[in-house]
Amino acid sequence: MGKNDFVSVEQISVGYGKTTVLDGLDLSIRKGEFVALLGSSGCGKTTLLRALAGFVKPDAGTIRVDGEDVTRLPPDRRGMALVFQSYALWPHMTVAQNIGYGLKLRGTPRAGIDRRVGELQELLGLAGLGSRKPTALSGGQRQRVALGRALAVDPSILLLDEPLSNLDARIRLKVRHDISALQKRLGITAVHVTHDREEAMVMADRIVILDAGRIAQQGAPEEVFNRPASPFVAAFMGAENVIALNGSVGGGRIAIDASDANAKAILPLDGRNLKSGGFEARFRTEGAQLIDDGMPVSEAVDALDLFGHVEAASYPGGAWRHSVRVGDDIMLIDAARPCAQGQAVRVRIPAKNLFLFNQQGRDSRPQPSSLNEGGAARVLEASHA
Amino acid sequence: MPKHLLGLLLVLPALAVILLLFVVPLATSLVGAFKVEDRFGFGNFAKSFELYTSDIVFTVVIVSLSTAIIGILSVAIGGYLVLGENPRAVAILRWLYRWPLFIPFIVVGQILRTFLAKNGLMNNVLIEVGLITPLQAVSFLDWRGIVIAFVWKQTPFVALLVSGAMASVDRSTIEAARNLGASRLRILVEIIVPQVATTLMVGLVLSFVTMMSVLSVPLMINAQSPTMITADIAFRINAYGDYGVANALGLISLVASACVGWFYLRQTLRERS
Repeated sequence: MGKNDFVSVEQISVGYGKTTVLDGLDLSIRKGEFVALLGSSGCGKTTLLRALAGFVKPDAGTIRVDGEDVTRLPPDRRGMALVFQSYALWPHMTVAQNIGYGLKLRGTPRAGIDRRVGELQELLGLAGLGSRKPTALSGGQRQRVALGRALAVDPSILLLDEPLSNLDARIRLKVRHDISALQKRLGITAVHVTHDREEAMVMADRIVILDAGRIAQQGAPEEVFNRPASPFVAAFMGAENVIALNGSVGGGRIAIDASDANAKAILPLDGRNLKSGGFEARFRTEGAQLIDDGMPVSEAVDALDLFGHVEAASYPGGAWRHSVRVGDDIMLIDAARPCAQGQAVRVRIPAKNLFLFNQQGRDSRPQPSSLNEGGAARVLEASHA
Repeated sequence: MPKHLLGLLLVLPALAVILLLFVVPLATSLVGAFKVEDRFGFGNFAKSFELYTSDIVFTVVIVSLSTAIIGILSVAIGGYLVLGENPRAVAILRWLYRWPLFIPFIVVGQILRTFLAKNGLMNNVLIEVGLITPLQAVSFLDWRGIVIAFVWKQTPFVALLVSGAMASVDRSTIEAARNLGASRLRILVEIIVPQVATTLMVGLVLSFVTMMSVLSVPLMINAQSPTMITADIAFRINAYGDYGVANALGLISLVASACVGWFYLRQTLRERS
């Protein structure tokens, strides 16, 4: 743990009954940092947040805030305020009462409460709504009341449990920016739980991707996006197209063997820790180029070519999305112009867009041997590695 | 046959049952309250108030007191079931608190008569333990006995309704209050009870009306003056065959119950508006 850590989670384990949700997890957060906990449902992200907040008692491990062990402290003694997914506003209280309740509990005088509530309403664009009940507000307004209620007590850490998931898509985009702008302005440390990749990318300084109770990868958004550390992270960050390749590593390069599905390619190793053998290659819909195979094709430089046929094309906006059959796999590829159904195409993936991982045992599939290229025997050999 | 006649024919059996078994007896009783020897007047009421004013006040006061205590206890029970942190204690309470629901009022009266008497079980235990001397032993078989019986019998009913409503309160509203530092008592009073207020009111109104109509408990526990209106009604009919005063007393207790019902209706209407 570094000296600059404001919040540090050390070796924390949480289980419900016999299921382990978090398994010896370590995480440190700097003061003023906005950290997004990203993962699919059941990965433990909400449990981690609730353990931070003090609603879940960890079986093992320590949580420190500013050097102080808060693991056994009640939720209100940790300097944290939680914004709930369902907002959890009190329906029998007005907006002003909801926002001011934390101050009332602290014994703040009436005038002080009114002033602070007024400030927060102003800050959050709720001016004039103070006497309304939460049921008379829109989703976005309720969300801001929940935020105001959490901010009213001046917490040093703001915990956000999927606060945008109940908003409709258009408002969500705006509220994203509102929250991160507010967080920067107040200089508050924030931990945000979400399953929405884009939301995490846009809002957070650092993304922590959780998988089955462990941290799969953490880093700045662009780092996690461009250099995923595992097939899981790559898939989670949108690289859903997957193909099995074989190749050998040497001299700072990866030589990809040719097969029915792909051409031979030499790619830079780029510091990746890969071993010769079977690879799982992943790339994004927008990370590849679609080239008509009938046209004269330039040699691929630092790129991998796949051979396939267009099965269908649709227009979701921005670019044409093609579903391309490559061997037994279907890939989704974006291209500026539509290709006809049945057309033979090359899918060219630049090396920087191609995420390569050594194949895990369970994922390895035998490659069909290639007839038109040399090294067929090696392909067969390598495919069972 | 015209359609509307057919419809009328179909509802006729149900309508007849309501009319014959409910509306007619009620109307007869109401009319009877104003009937003094074949003439209409307020004679029965004058007599009722002359003889039984203290009983009427006694009834309203002890039923109101019981209702208040039932409210407090059922909120406490429901609150502990929702907020209790000792799972075993919560499980035991959940299992235990409903038992009096299945015991009839007359049996409650009987149990408490032997328990609360001057030489009953309660005093015997207190004397054995040395908390009181035999000379200090007093009988609780008066208004206190009735209140204890009512509270004992009706608290589980209201607690059942209230704890159900509390269990369905969004848990995150409780956690949000805890997150801001509210104690469990404050959470119960300021966060949970306001959210289940309607259910609590319904339970209390129903309990009030039930207690107004119980005859067995005052007869078993408090066969002295002042007693409850129900005992007076039974006495007027059984001892004198005086249906007029009995009907007038019945109407008075109906008005008392109606006041509570009106209060409840007004409250719900205000909440909806």
